[in-house]
Amino acid sequence: MAMPVLATKLFVPPPRPQAVQRSRLTAKLDDGVRIGRKLTLISAPAGFGKTTLLSEWIAATARRDPEMRIAWLSLEESDNDPVRFLTYLIAALNHAEPSVGSGDRDPQLPAEAVLTTLINELTLSSHSVLLVLDDFQLIEDATVRDAVAFLLDHLPSRLHVAIASRSDPLLPVSRIRARGELTELRAADLRFTPDEASDFLTTAMGLTLTREDVAMLETRTEGWIAGLQLAALSMRERSDLPGFISAFAGSNRFVIDYLIEEVLERAPLDVREFLCQTAILDRLSGPLCNAVTGQTDSAEVLESLERANLFVVPLDDHREWYRYHHLFADVLKIRLLPHGSDHISALHGRASEWYESHGLSEDAVHHAFEAADFSRAARVIEATIPGVRKSRQDSTLLGWLDRLPPETINRRPVLTVFSAWSSLVHGAVGSVEPKLAHAEQLLAAFGDDGMPAHDSEPSDELASLPVTIELYRAAVAMASGDQAGIKTHAQRGLDIAAPDDHLGRGAAAGLLGLASWASGELSAGVAAFEASSASLRRAGNLTDALSTTLVISDMLMPLGRLGDTQAAFESALAESFEHHSSGQPTADLHAGLAEVLRERNELFAATEQLAASDALGEGAFSHEHRYRWFVAMAGVRQAEGRLDAAFDLLTQAEQHYRRGFFPESRPIWARKARIRILQERLTEAMGSVSELGLTGTDELSYLTEFGHITLARVLLAQHRAEPVDPSPVTALLARLLDSARAGGRNGSALEIFILQSLALEAQGQTALALIPLEHALDLAAPEGFVRVFLDEGAPMLRLLRAAAGAGIRPDYVRQLNQALRETAGADVSAQPASEVLSERELHVLRLLATSMTGPEIARELYVSLNTMRTHTKHIFLKLDVTSRAAAVHRAEVLGLI
Amino acid sequence: MDTDRYDIRLEGQLDPRWSDWFEGFALTHNSDGTTTLTGPITDQAALHGLLRRISDLGVVLISVNNLSQPQNPRSTQQ
Repeated sequence: MAMPVLATKLFVPPPRPQAVQRSRLTAKLDDGVRIGRKLTLISAPAGFGKTTLLSEWIAATARRDPEMRIAWLSLEESDNDPVRFLTYLIAALNHAEPSVGSGDRDPQLPAEAVLTTLINELTLSSHSVLLVLDDFQLIEDATVRDAVAFLLDHLPSRLHVAIASRSDPLLPVSRIRARGELTELRAADLRFTPDEASDFLTTAMGLTLTREDVAMLETRTEGWIAGLQLAALSMRERSDLPGFISAFAGSNRFVIDYLIEEVLERAPLDVREFLCQTAILDRLSGPLCNAVTGQTDSAEVLESLERANLFVVPLDDHREWYRYHHLFADVLKIRLLPHGSDHISALHGRASEWYESHGLSEDAVHHAFEAADFSRAARVIEATIPGVRKSRQDSTLLGWLDRLPPETINRRPVLTVFSAWSSLVHGAVGSVEPKLAHAEQLLAAFGDDGMPAHDSEPSDELASLPVTIELYRAAVAMASGDQAGIKTHAQRGLDIAAPDDHLGRGAAAGLLGLASWASGELSAGVAAFEASSASLRRAGNLTDALSTTLVISDMLMPLGRLGDTQAAFESALAESFEHHSSGQPTADLHAGLAEVLRERNELFAATEQLAASDALGEGAFSHEHRYRWFVAMAGVRQAEGRLDAAFDLLTQAEQHYRRGFFPESRPIWARKARIRILQERLTEAMGSVSELGLTGTDELSYLTEFGHITLARVLLAQHRAEPVDPSPVTALLARLLDSARAGGRNGSALEIFILQSLALEAQGQTALALIPLEHALDLAAPEGFVRVFLDEGAPMLRLLRAAAGAGIRPDYVRQLNQALRETAGADVSAQPASEVLSERELHVLRLLATSMTGPEIARELYVSLNTMRTHTKHIFLKLDVTSRAAAVHRAEVLGLI
Repeated sequence: MDTDRYDIRLEGQLDPRWSDWFEGFALTHNSDGTTTLTGPITDQAALHGLLRRISDLGVVLISVNNLSQPQNPRSTQQ
């Protein structure tokens, strides 16, 4: 269950037909938007007509400027959950302007990332958007407030925000005011002037009053609109108006008390009952009110209340949902209090039942809590756990958990396990196991009747609870770095999971893969993550299924399986295209493919992938993989010889790196040290290796392999700079090779062979150096590794020449030699102004010769249509043609395809 | 912490049935047409919650006094 977006929250209230035209105020609001102010703030207590003014202004704006898009969001207390707030904010903007907020979105993404995407989309939008946030006083959560402040700080010129609030919002309003970017209306502006009061009472409400009567009412209510409105309602169909007015004016009683009494007294008894009983509801509909009041004609009553202008606000345009004016609801609620809490609880209980049977769980839980019916609340919460967790509204769920008495939770295994999860995410690892053990006891106990002795209802969640318990135990083991513990519990979870428990199987397999990875069993890790990905896909969780590709690639590369890595990224991207997903992790997948293409020395194609990644925008990156783009880009820059740029990119990668559960098998610090070696800044390179305490005599393991190879590189470079004893580096490389081979890591072995070869070459033993070089070539050729040789520069050129002379792998060596000469000779920063078609352009040309359409070709190449068009343009230019058919014909004549 | 007693003065004379709404505070009508709410406040959060209820009602708030503060000149009145 994704979170249903309630259309009633996005409904723009229509202007009231009898409302007084408040052009003096709407003109002010218009001016603010016209001169480009960022924010409109309407701050005044209840009953000053804030919402009415906004709806009148918006209706007029929409009439005058049909290009203006209106996004309206009526806030509620539950919007203090940041995920929920952002979901509704995006829904409101998307509802107004479909080009904004249409992509998929990870609910776990930080608010700023979500907002950055929105801001970028709004900047590109072809329409101006007016965003209204009504009832902002209900927002108390600091994260939500920060999100709104962030939006205001980065407001695109296409967006204007209007906030209505009963109290001044805790936003940087004074800063905005000081910059002259604020339009502000306060109580003094909103209250009715004597003229408006007169207009309202006589014209709008049709009352026959003298100037003195109006003045007296205006003074008594101090222009407070709610008061005047109630006064008007009290006076309708009353004959002795002057008598009423003088009695009202002469009374000291609170305006509302005095007038509501008057209004309710004059309403029929059943209407009075209806009003009091339904005052507990935040939203009103005919069927819901029928359920709460036991009446059968609630829909008609609601319509008649709307017609009578009795503080009923429509929430849609088909007379289904309404709410009471807040002030009115409060007054009605206190009239309900003398009926006793049992009576009120019963009303809430009926509302909860109705909401539950209509699948609106959040409201069902809210009313169950109001009814103090914890067992009902617990039951509904249990049923919503899978859905709410999927939409990642964790704070809603955790808030509910806090409100339940412990004895209610302790009788329910599902809630107990959920509470264990809550401890886990809050880092209270120690209190997880006791809860899990208690849940197991509950599951194992049966009453005398043979029925379960616990309170949890049968459900999928309950059925898979034993699996969930093992998964959380594995997570606890993970928190303490206990690899064996992870494996034991994940394997047990996998063993007991039902064949169709895809989510459970996916999670268990993922945990197994993680433990295998951390223990250096990479092939087992790949297999486990592939199984996890398949299960996640079956569970309908494409985002996580696709994300495993990135994790798998981290294991395939040291295994030397470059071809498999490329195939994995290409099929993941194809799947992402197929589902039209421009959401995460599509951008990360492009970056991953770029790294593979870079290794193949297809630098231009790699750059294209990185550009494609960038073009998708921040929302297409997942938080935990974001750093990969910078690492891949650094690789391209390094290959181009732009070492400073590469180093800077790695520094940025470090800033984006999030320490998660995944092992850092190719750490960024080591990549930086390798750049320092190329820059011949050996002291710094050695410094970062020593800082981590790595030495040539350490015990070797997979997790430190990349670091130790980096150390070997530093030692080798030192040896080259000044003749020192080569035996430490020789010994380290020999041990690294043993370790890599024992773990089946051909990719690591490939690099180590190359370093052995370079070490021998540096000692002048070129003939001997060809032995490890041949091993390296044997591992590289079938997979198409190129850069791993090219990155070594001049010494490698000498070695490859010798290899060519010795007739080792002649085809591959020739290819490498040629590529190395091109790299060494070319001015990498300038594009070659050659008439010769590039590899990429030849590829496009071959596809142009097929019957594929432009978009199909772009998809085949995993590039945007624009990039594809650029290629086509270059091809046309170089072949001196102007059409696709002519290009294909020309290419055929020239023997290019 | 100890519970402090507060009195809160509002404009207009509020109906006694609001007492339940205001967490059981006693409602007194003053001769100047104002109302005083008197009652216990456990902590600052409770005080702010009560003030928000007053604001939600659209009543004009005149003053808030902590009767338990010794420096408060009115504290001797209780």
